[in-house]
Amino acid sequence: MKKTIAVLNQLRKKGLIKNYAIGGGIATIFYVEPFFTYDLDVFIIPSGTVKKQNLILLSPIYNYLQAKGYKWKGEHILIEGVPVQFIPADEFEKEAVARAKAVEYEGVKTKVMAPEYLVALLLRAGRKKDMEKTEKLLEQTKIDRRKLRAILRKYGLTRKFDLL
Amino acid sequence: MRGKKVSQMKILIRDNKKITRKKLFENKEKFHKEQAKLPFEEKIKILIRLQEIANSIHKSTSGGKLGVWKIPSKSRSK
Repeated sequence: MKKTIAVLNQLRKKGLIKNYAIGGGIATIFYVEPFFTYDLDVFIIPSGTVKKQNLILLSPIYNYLQAKGYKWKGEHILIEGVPVQFIPADEFEKEAVARAKAVEYEGVKTKVMAPEYLVALLLRAGRKKDMEKTEKLLEQTKIDRRKLRAILRKYGLTRKFDLL
Repeated sequence: MRGKKVSQMKILIRDNKKITRKKLFENKEKFHKEQAKLPFEEKIKILIRLQEIANSIHKSTSGGKLGVWKIPSKSRSK
């Protein structure tokens, strides 16, 4: 995964994306005990030039990766053996990317969404598997409850959280 | 009352050691919390092992293949 992260950093360095953060299952694993998951969800803020008529064009990113020899596998692009899914961030996710935690993986710098944002985003998604991850995060890692409450209030998720 | 009795029920484990059901579940929870504290790199090694296990089960039951991350051996568990 070290090489995969290095490629993500290259995308930013080359200006193909403005910023990124790892979210989803792998970000959750950063904070809790390991569990089965397959893909690496990467939330990206595309560069300004790729927005066209309300359509987010990820083709510059894919063209760059394909030119480097990385192949598609279903909805994922296999980067150094890891299936990566690029997700253009919405407003909520953009905030999560901006406030993501800077970490290192085998000496390579990357960013992982903060647990408070992960809980809120998982709640918003609301599937059974998201609820399971939410519970793991609440049980196994330190969550700043004030910060979490503020995020939940801002995005109208307080009631959903209280029903947990 | 009945719940309390059940939680105090003793279980014989290895080396003739006895522990209560309550303690057994407390230990389980402690284990999960300790796993959560492992370095990220270690967790990824465990994840790949889980993918390999899931893949072999899937192969033997449905004949199909599930994905396993193909990353360098240094990042894999032995």
